[in-house]
Amino acid sequence: MSLTAQIGRRLLRPDQLERVRQLPLRDEGYGFDRFGMNRDGVALMVGLLRPLYERYFRVTSHGAENIPAEGAAIVACNHSGTIPLDAMMLACDVLWNTTPPRALRVVVDYFVDALPAVNVLYARAGAVGGSRANFHDLLDRGELIGVFPEGVPGIGKPFAERYQLRPWRPGHAELAIRHQVPVVPCAVIGAEEQWPQIGRIHSIRPFGSPYTPIVATPFPLPVHYHIHYGEPVPLGELYAAEDARRAGAVAEAAGLVRDAVQGLIDRGLAQRKGVFR
Amino acid sequence: MRVLVTGATTPVGAALVDRLTGDPAVDRVVAVGLEEADDLPASLRHPAVSWHRADLTRHRNLRHLLAGPVADAGVDSVIHLALHRSAADRGRRIRRLNVDATRLLLRLAEDHPTITRFVFASSAAVYRLRAETPTVLREDAELALGGGAQWLRDRVEADVGVCTRMGLSDLSVAVLRLAEVLAPDAGSQLLDYLGARVCLRPLGYDPMLNLLSVDDAARALHLALQLGANGVFNVPGGDTLPLSRAIECCGRRQVPVPGPLVGWLYGARGHRGGEFRYDLNADRFHHTALLDGARAEAELSYRPEQRIDWSSLLPS
Repeated sequence: MSLTAQIGRRLLRPDQLERVRQLPLRDEGYGFDRFGMNRDGVALMVGLLRPLYERYFRVTSHGAENIPAEGAAIVACNHSGTIPLDAMMLACDVLWNTTPPRALRVVVDYFVDALPAVNVLYARAGAVGGSRANFHDLLDRGELIGVFPEGVPGIGKPFAERYQLRPWRPGHAELAIRHQVPVVPCAVIGAEEQWPQIGRIHSIRPFGSPYTPIVATPFPLPVHYHIHYGEPVPLGELYAAEDARRAGAVAEAAGLVRDAVQGLIDRGLAQRKGVFR
Repeated sequence: MRVLVTGATTPVGAALVDRLTGDPAVDRVVAVGLEEADDLPASLRHPAVSWHRADLTRHRNLRHLLAGPVADAGVDSVIHLALHRSAADRGRRIRRLNVDATRLLLRLAEDHPTITRFVFASSAAVYRLRAETPTVLREDAELALGGGAQWLRDRVEADVGVCTRMGLSDLSVAVLRLAEVLAPDAGSQLLDYLGARVCLRPLGYDPMLNLLSVDDAARALHLALQLGANGVFNVPGGDTLPLSRAIECCGRRQVPVPGPLVGWLYGARGHRGGEFRYDLNADRFHHTALLDGARAEAELSYRPEQRIDWSSLLPS
């Protein structure tokens, strides 16, 4: 048994390991899918994140039943937190709260591919580089894709602008229309306060990252995460596949998703009892 | 069907000739290579195969071949496999084979009285790889144009040279971009890399690789010929695995080393005669890029069937 598998097994409970074993995987013959995901890698990643998910951020999940049990779909989520812990918590949350368990193929920015070790850990856990061809391939294969249409500007938004969505990229809506798949709106509450950013150094770009953030605290704060999934926005029903070529229709569809995410954010903020509770 | 096969003594060429001689639709194969007739593999000794020893870097030979034996045999199809395999060699003569002979052969085929089909065996190496590259490359992915080592420059130029002639004559032209054929004498960089007892790989990177068997490569070329394919087709192989797993499969030890150091160490090894060149492989040792075989599957009915036999690949 590989070291990765051994560590993963030690970090997870038996029922959690069983969920990882049940994950659908298009095995290319060596235990990996073509993007490099394998079950040992998923187990290692979620095992390493388990203390954060269960104890540090105490993630509470709401509405995971809105995620389709099978077939291609896109989960579109707000993005924040200086480092992408929200994406990691979201991927764990989908794995622990879907039946049968599904892997969220989180789409990451290009520079992640250049980060030593991180790129391997991410790929083994199911993350995928953010090219359109990868999107098409994943949707054709019936995968569940996690996207953050705010992109890097979202993760670096100033503390004063928390929970205000940055310009919402429409690419996910275009692909959802083209492939006739639903978009599940999602809001992560808590992450936007986890690591306040007070500045950034644009001249220092380690490993191709867009800047070096200056943060207010030495480590992320133990905020209480609430992850809310809304009812799927049926873009595949609202628009014909040909509408993917119409910029107006795509922008309108992206607006529907954005409004749904903003609605979930507003509801989640109203429901929570405090940043740390 | 009567077929001219260049590079017929390469592993893929020999396997292709073997398939062609078993195809009832093929009644003659004109095989060309550099070897003496006494040194030919068994598949080239078939009664339906006529062997012609020719150095294609001499363009006069090529003209004589097309005007003589090829015209006499009534050849209607050309499968061009003759590219120089060693990355260690370079120079004008290598280019004359890789680029100039390919271009001339295509031009002669266009003007030839009997030839109607041209199939060129290109390589996945022609694609440019970087962080923005999709994991799965379609035929319209960016090519590694400009710069680089001659081994790569020649392959890109030959590929583009053939592609630019598509649709400009009555000749049907197909370019098959083959995934790396992992077999001895097939010009595989990876095989030479895996041949060392200790394989150095960039620390913190473990990209996915896709590898093609000789049989699948030959089958794809045969299908392109049978169907009179036009256009560019990616030909992926049946083995998709991380670099680290490929090293394990060969029973080699792997040592992750900081990226710049890997290049320096393999550069030093290259001076002692190794075939593997890290500068040719650095990008694919960092980024995953696999061939999308959807087009070959849809239009050629090609799906990889053979897996790499790791146990017999290298001496233990």
